[in-house]
Parts: sequence; structure tokens; C-alpha cells
Amino acid sequence: MPAIFLVAFLLIPLASLAAQIIGPGTAGYLFDALPWQVAGLAAVQAAVSTALALTLGLPMANVLTRYRFPGRRWALALATVPFVLPTVVVALAFRALLGGTLGSGFMIVVLAHAYLNLAVVVRIVGARWVTIDPRTVTVARTLGADTWTAFRTVTWPALRPAIASAAAIVFVFSFTSLGVVLLIGDASTRTLEALVLRQTSVLLDFQAAAVSAAIQALVVGSVLLWAARQRASTVGGAARDFFLIRARGGSRLAVGLVATATLVIVLAPVLALVWASVRSSGGFTLAWWSGLFGSNTIDAGSTRIGSPLAAMGRSVAFALATGAVAAIVGGLAAMSILTGRIGRAFALATALPLGISAATLGLGTLLAYGRPPLDLRATGLLVPIAHALIAVPLVVAVAAPTLRSADPRLVTVAASLGASRSRAWWTGYGPAMRTVMVAAGGLACAVSLGEFGAASFLARADGPTVPLVIARLLGRPGEASFGVAAAMAVVLVIMTTTLVAAVDRGGDRGGDRGGTRV
Amino acid sequence: MSDGAPLQVTDLVIGYGSPLREPLSFSVQPGSVLAIVGPSGCGKSTLLATIAGITPALSGSVTIGDRNVTSLPVNERKIGMVFQEALLFPHLNVRDNVAYGPRRQGVDRSHAREEADRLLTWVDLASLGDRSIEELSGGQAQRVSLARALAAKPDVLCLDEPFSALDAPLRARLAEDVLAIIARAQIPAIHVTHDPNEARTMTHGRAGGSILSM
Repeated sequence: MPAIFLVAFLLIPLASLAAQIIGPGTAGYLFDALPWQVAGLAAVQAAVSTALALTLGLPMANVLTRYRFPGRRWALALATVPFVLPTVVVALAFRALLGGTLGSGFMIVVLAHAYLNLAVVVRIVGARWVTIDPRTVTVARTLGADTWTAFRTVTWPALRPAIASAAAIVFVFSFTSLGVVLLIGDASTRTLEALVLRQTSVLLDFQAAAVSAAIQALVVGSVLLWAARQRASTVGGAARDFFLIRARGGSRLAVGLVATATLVIVLAPVLALVWASVRSSGGFTLAWWSGLFGSNTIDAGSTRIGSPLAAMGRSVAFALATGAVAAIVGGLAAMSILTGRIGRAFALATALPLGISAATLGLGTLLAYGRPPLDLRATGLLVPIAHALIAVPLVVAVAAPTLRSADPRLVTVAASLGASRSRAWWTGYGPAMRTVMVAAGGLACAVSLGEFGAASFLARADGPTVPLVIARLLGRPGEASFGVAAAMAVVLVIMTTTLVAAVDRGGDRGGDRGGTRV
Repeated sequence: MSDGAPLQVTDLVIGYGSPLREPLSFSVQPGSVLAIVGPSGCGKSTLLATIAGITPALSGSVTIGDRNVTSLPVNERKIGMVFQEALLFPHLNVRDNVAYGPRRQGVDRSHAREEADRLLTWVDLASLGDRSIEELSGGQAQRVSLARALAAKPDVLCLDEPFSALDAPLRARLAEDVLAIIARAQIPAIHVTHDPNEARTMTHGRAGGSILSM
């Protein structure tokens, strides 16, 4: 079943995209300067965003993952928050926080991208850093290395592959950014993703869009391939020990500073967003919140925004559908990892959407199923299907380690006690599977609630999701639009963070149960 | 190795913020071993870390010959450390692990490698220079760790339970080798262990060998 889903909704759309590229005018499109210029601009923007994310994220990774201090787990969870926030929410939050000072453009976009990707750096680099035995640095010091030399010659070689890997992911996310560049960018921050959307929805030039998407896929593929090579050079990666350091003396001050900076950096945009949702030129107001539930406040004039309340209902429905589909498809895909080489190859295939941008996926799906003879857009199915595809790799990533950690000998024990084959399997893997499906479903719901790129292509004009309504509101002048958008964004923040926190707690509890059981 | 100056520890108070125990004083002559024996948690490793400069002393002094190293940072003390685990650098092969110390002292790469090969011969691992450290057995890794510490030409060698991760026959053989190497290097050595038998092995019948119980 997952295989059918993947073929129908991933491979066929990609094939439709490929068919669109191969045509009589392809060469002309390929030699057109525009997509290459945009690729160049996006590469510069992504490189600066990556450098900034690393500059901020590396000290956080060092302190939050390696040092023992009160509230460490909370600080680490907090550093993950930006990653689970929808991109339109972050764009709006940065406009609320820095829009008055920086306006729209390069600076605010790279700041927002660095913010969104802090968790990528903290989690990936931190996971490696915490496995480096600090005594190897001590040994280097006893052998004559000063602090910097010990870092350069011992810590850095061990961290380099993880840093390269994190940098590649941040680069790809920033290079393929859509929501942020549309909402707070300008001509200097255009991305191919935004170009594809424009070529599809404004210019209706599908072949040009497909060529742009292909150029983007080429860059993304090359960067991810480079990252995979870097990862392959990891040494001493088998370490399963974690070395937590108790801060003493001067390092205690540094730990305090970095932990405080994390708190400020993560919370400032979110608080600015909350503030914007209750503030007007006349002072404190709840008008924007009541506007969420009214029909007149923001729908006046000729611009068609759609009812916020209807959009929220629609987003929740899409999220539930996405959660169900992704949990089933992703859970089954994760199970197939346990079944041998073909299963593992299949599970690897489910990770494909990770390397394919939302616009590429959206455009491919639109070409395959969004126009005659087969137009599924009216059914409202395309958005949750695309969201499920985006969420499945995450579901597999969450589910596979938990399923792998279940003890297969329990299946044998159950069978030896007379359980049928299916009963024995369920005895061995059932409890882990149950936890995983709920967690994965919740995660997929969160992804769907905030997803902007694919929904831009696939949602019907009269049926926008919450992120689309926020984007439309921000495209309109006036403080009412901004205020209501901020209120909607706050709702989205609460919904996504609650879901992710619940998934996290559920996962922890599941792990504890597993530990006791085995 | 240097010209073999004695290590003198005078009224040394160890601890993190507050003293772990009463002040300690002792001296170790070049080529001889002081074995420090005591149960886990009595401060043996903290004492070594304080002498090596990894942990600051609360008071007292550490001198090597006429050189007072008490306030010097760890990288300037010239005190070699070998830990319970080999703690080899995973991104370097065996030879480059041993050449690490000479390289930090400004020796060029080829000479540092020659020096590493010389030390690897000392510890009977001359043929393993090109090996990845992942291919070493526990005993071999510990020998490489010893060679690495000696290649940096330390004035003092500190051994923090270096054999405790090894099995009994290997432990006895390595103890003999370490004693021979210390005698050859003519530097003072401190050997920390929780095993009184091991302490006796490291000091028994050796000129200047003594045991400090903690």
C-alpha cells in the first residue's frame, strides 16, 4: 500500500514534471538567463543564511547538548521551537519584530532563515558533539596543545562532517525557501521556488516552471550529495556514550550567557507576534482576535481573503487527513525496514520527498492531477496527499528507530508460547508501533498545519489554508490585515507547538514503557 | 626525555572549591614510580589532574627540578598523562596519534613521524604505524597511548589506572613494559590504581619506588 501511494503521488507527478521539461522549447528555457540569475541570488542568500545559522547555532549546540545545568532539557526543547514553526508564521513574526527597522529584503530574510534553521544546527551538530569524549581534548592539552589548537586538531575534525551536514540542510532549506521570501523578501531574495510559483500561477508557463524546478533540483541534489560524502567521512561515529560536562568557573558564565541568549533569540519573534496580535495604532485591542471569528472585519473591499474561521476548519481537516495517511503509509514503510534489504530500499525511497522541494512536488501533482482529464483539485484531496508525502520521511525517521529498538526475541518468545504469527508479531512490535503511529500522526498534523509551498499550488482559490490566508492578509495594506494575520499566526503557533510537544512527550512515555517492559 | 629532574609536590590541597583531603607532600625521583593506591572516590584521579594542571590546585606547589609549574596551564607543564581508556584521536592513524605531541612542539611532519616510529618501537608496535586506531586491541591501544605521551618528551609521566580496562595477563605484561620504559626514559612517574597488588608490582624491587595510600 505505501508503494502504491508513492508511485501514484510521487513518481507519477515527477514523471509528469519530467514530461513537461522534455519538449521543443526546452533548450530555449535552459539558456534563458532568468532562472540562472535567480539561482545565483538564492545561492548567495542561502550561503549567508547558513553562515548566520552556524554562527548562532554552534555555541548553542555546544552548551545545550554538552553542559549539565538546571533547565537544560527545557532550553534544548526551546531551541527546537523555531524549526516547528510554520514559515509564514516566522516571516510574520520577523516583520513584527524587525520590519520597522529593516523593512523587507535581504537582511530580514537571512535572519528569519537562520532562526528557522537553528534547530537543524543544534540538533545535528549537538548530537555529534556530545559523543566526543572531552578527555581527548584534555589529552591534547597535556601533549602541548593550547585551547584553540586542541579545538582545531581534535574537536573540529570530529565535528566537521556533522557541521557540513547541517550546513547543507540549512542551505537547501534557505535556497528553496518560499513563504519567507514571498512575505518579507524583495528582488534580491528571489528563489527558484518563488519563480516556479509565479511561472505556474501568474504566467501559466508550465514548461518554464518545470525547467526552473529542474535547475533547483539539480542544485539541491548536488548539495545533498556533497553532504552525504562528508557524512561518510565521519570517524569514531559508533560512539554511543554521551559526555555531559558540569560547568565550572569561567565556563559557568559562558553557559549562562548562551542559555540566556537562546531564550531571548527564540522567544523574541514569538513575543513580537503575540504583541502584534493585540496592538493597534490606538493601543491595546482585541479587535484582531474578534476579527478571526467575524466575517466583515477583514473581508471588506475587493481583495478576496476568505474567512479565517473557515480556513482554520479547513486546515484542521487537512491536518487530520494528513496525519492519518502519513501515519499509515509512514508506519508501514517503517515496518518494511524490519523485513530485509528490499524493505530497507523501499523505506529509503520514502525519504525522496525530503530532497524534492514543496514547489516541485506541488507543481508535479498539479500537472498530474490538477487539470483535465483528471482534476482532483475540487475533491480537496490534493493538499493532504502532498502534505502526507512531505510528512512521510519524518514519520519514517521517527518510527524506524523505535521499531528497531523493540526486541525481536519477544516475537520468538510469544510464538514459542503458542501465539499465532500475527499475534506474536504484535506482542513484539505492537506497543512500539502504537506509540509510533500516534507520534508520527501528530507530527504529520503539525507539518500539514504550517505547510505553505505545496498548498500554494494545490489549494483552490476559494479554499485556502491558514498559512495561505496569512500570506494573503500580509499582501494587503492596513493594520487590520496585519493584526488579524498575527492573531491567526498565534493560533497556528499554539496548535503546532502543542502537537509537537504532545508527540515528544508521547514518544518519551513510549520509550519508558518499552524500557520497563524489556 | 629531559635530563631527569625530580617531581616535588609540597602541601598540595586538591578539590573543586573545597578541599577533598589534607595537604599532600611527596617527591618522585627520575626513573622511579610512586604508586598511589586507594578506593574509588578518594581523590586519586583529582590529585593527578591537579599535578598535570587539568584541575587547579587550591593551594600548595608542584615543581619539576627547579621549575615551579603550579600556575602554568596544562599545555606548558610537560606532564604526560595516560588514562584508563586509551583516548586516541579517532581521525588520526596510529603513527599520527603518536606524532601529535612533537607536532605541537613545532617539529615538522616527517621528523615527528620518525620520532613516532621510534616510540612505537619502544612499545613493540613498530609495524602498526599505518593502522587505523579502530583496528587495535585494547592492549595495543593502551601501548599507543603510552607512546603518544612519551613522544611529547614529558618531564613527568602520570598514569591514571592505565591497566584497569585490560585482562589480568595483559595487565601484568604491560606493567613490566611500562616499568622498563620509565626506567629507560629516566623521568619520574606516578601510577594511580585501586588495586594494591598492582601498586606493589609497579614499585616492588625498584629503586626509589614507593606507595602512597589515600
